[in-house]
Amino acid sequence: MSVDPWKGILKDTQRHSAYLRYFEEWEARIGSFLEYRLSQDDPSDSGRLPLGGVPFGVKDNIAVEGYHCTCGSKILKDFTSPYSATAVNRLKAAGAVPVGKCNLDEFGMGSSTDNSALKKTHNPWDVSRVAGGSSGGSAAAVAAGLVPFALGSDTGGSVRQPAAFCGVYGLKPTYGAVSRYGLVAYASSLEVVGVLADTVDTARRVFDVIKGQDELDQSSALYPGLSRDRGGNPGAAPPAASTARIAVVEGLEGLSPEVEETYRSSIDFYKAAGCEIQPVSLPSLDYAVAAYYTIATAEASANLARYTGIRYGYRDTGAVTMEEMVRSSRTKGFGDEVKLRILLGTYVLRSGFQDQYYGRAQKIRTAIRNDFDRVFAAADLLLMPVFPVQAFPHGDTSLDQFQQKLADKFTVAANLAGIPALSFPTAPRNGLPVGMQLLGPVFSEQRLFAAAEIHEKSLGGIPRPHGFRSV
Amino acid sequence: MDIHELRITAELAMLDLDEREMKVFEAEVSKTLEYFAQMNAVDVDGLEPTTHVLMEENRAREDRTRDENLSDRLLEEAPERQGRHIVIPNVL
Repeated sequence: MSVDPWKGILKDTQRHSAYLRYFEEWEARIGSFLEYRLSQDDPSDSGRLPLGGVPFGVKDNIAVEGYHCTCGSKILKDFTSPYSATAVNRLKAAGAVPVGKCNLDEFGMGSSTDNSALKKTHNPWDVSRVAGGSSGGSAAAVAAGLVPFALGSDTGGSVRQPAAFCGVYGLKPTYGAVSRYGLVAYASSLEVVGVLADTVDTARRVFDVIKGQDELDQSSALYPGLSRDRGGNPGAAPPAASTARIAVVEGLEGLSPEVEETYRSSIDFYKAAGCEIQPVSLPSLDYAVAAYYTIATAEASANLARYTGIRYGYRDTGAVTMEEMVRSSRTKGFGDEVKLRILLGTYVLRSGFQDQYYGRAQKIRTAIRNDFDRVFAAADLLLMPVFPVQAFPHGDTSLDQFQQKLADKFTVAANLAGIPALSFPTAPRNGLPVGMQLLGPVFSEQRLFAAAEIHEKSLGGIPRPHGFRSV
Repeated sequence: MDIHELRITAELAMLDLDEREMKVFEAEVSKTLEYFAQMNAVDVDGLEPTTHVLMEENRAREDRTRDENLSDRLLEEAPERQGRHIVIPNVL
């Protein structure tokens, strides 16, 4: 299955009305979009362009001209974006049509999308459960078949974890492989625009369109023509997926039985497919979450200093002085989790504390990169779980915000090291999806797609939630 | 972190915290900082800090004129305006 059957769905009157009905029925149950417009005409010549007339969703921290860009926050509730992100513009140039903005944890801060100040999003497999986060709206929309793909952003797992919870593919590209122009900044050195997609082929085609250097983003990288070879040299052919050397981590703790069983069976799957399995240890993984949250909150406190109520966004009009206005606008505009992260980030950057926290975290970041370099000197890919548990119920008291942060252990390392990772769905357990992820060295996205595709073929297409209908 | 440190931090972050929030954030921030302290167990001697991965050099954009001008549309987003000026409370 590919994205092609979606072409022209907005143009053809009969197909459009069936699509609209299907979309609205699902959307009423899962609340994946903060805003959508399906009535718009398909401006493209559907047949000619690679993604001509294909509808897609965009996480609401990525700018689409003419749509709001709320970041799931009261502080940007009424903000309309005057321009589009580079990734969105490239997709439009390839003929794809943005049909709406997807819900998220406020400013991308969370693992459930329950931190959105504007809307509740539910998991299409079980609406009493969360869709994951922070790109939960994007994942839910793709899982329910409302769009074949959606853009998300991944700062510490925010594409991969909701993809795993909802049973779709989630690509976190190499840092800098996709321009961040038009992505609202949270933690600039960690985050990247990613793709949530219904098939590996769709993810690959979307990534091929959005990747590459952009003069509007200083940190965007020139993408090498082919994956780098085993020695890290660009331009060499990637290894065949069926004979890849796959590293696996031994002795992972804290996994639910369902996730642990799936990890084992995924290892067995790749072994049976002809891959060489290499058990490795990643000692720095134990410190990844602490280093990640130190860096992410520090960068967040600086990036979110721009919300003052002066130039745009929410302003508390009752204030008498300028300072009062700024303080009160921020205090009323931000939610609790955002405030917590700003406070943490401000603290770790305070003079006297910087070496102890931020400086040390940046050095641990180097240790994590070294660990991955060591693994990828001998292996082509690394297979890991995405999250220790499956989608949890809304308001689950056994997994509070702090524990959700600790559970980011398997996803944050890729962001700290800047390497690509692809979350892929496996056979559901207890009626809920389980996601695993493949990681590789920088610019090895094609290798990740190839390895995930072998698994996809073995399933004969990934399982879909009850009520899913393909176009 | 004690209440005093939290007050200073909130001040720097331009956030007003009421009594309820003080209590909640004191507990949450303290718990998280304790967790961050785990990093002290790592031997970081000889490790260079990583600030950005893959950021190889500064790049300048080509110096050329462009047709688009976003300034009017950006100004439309200002909460209060007089013409092309953004209105703020009196500072004097």
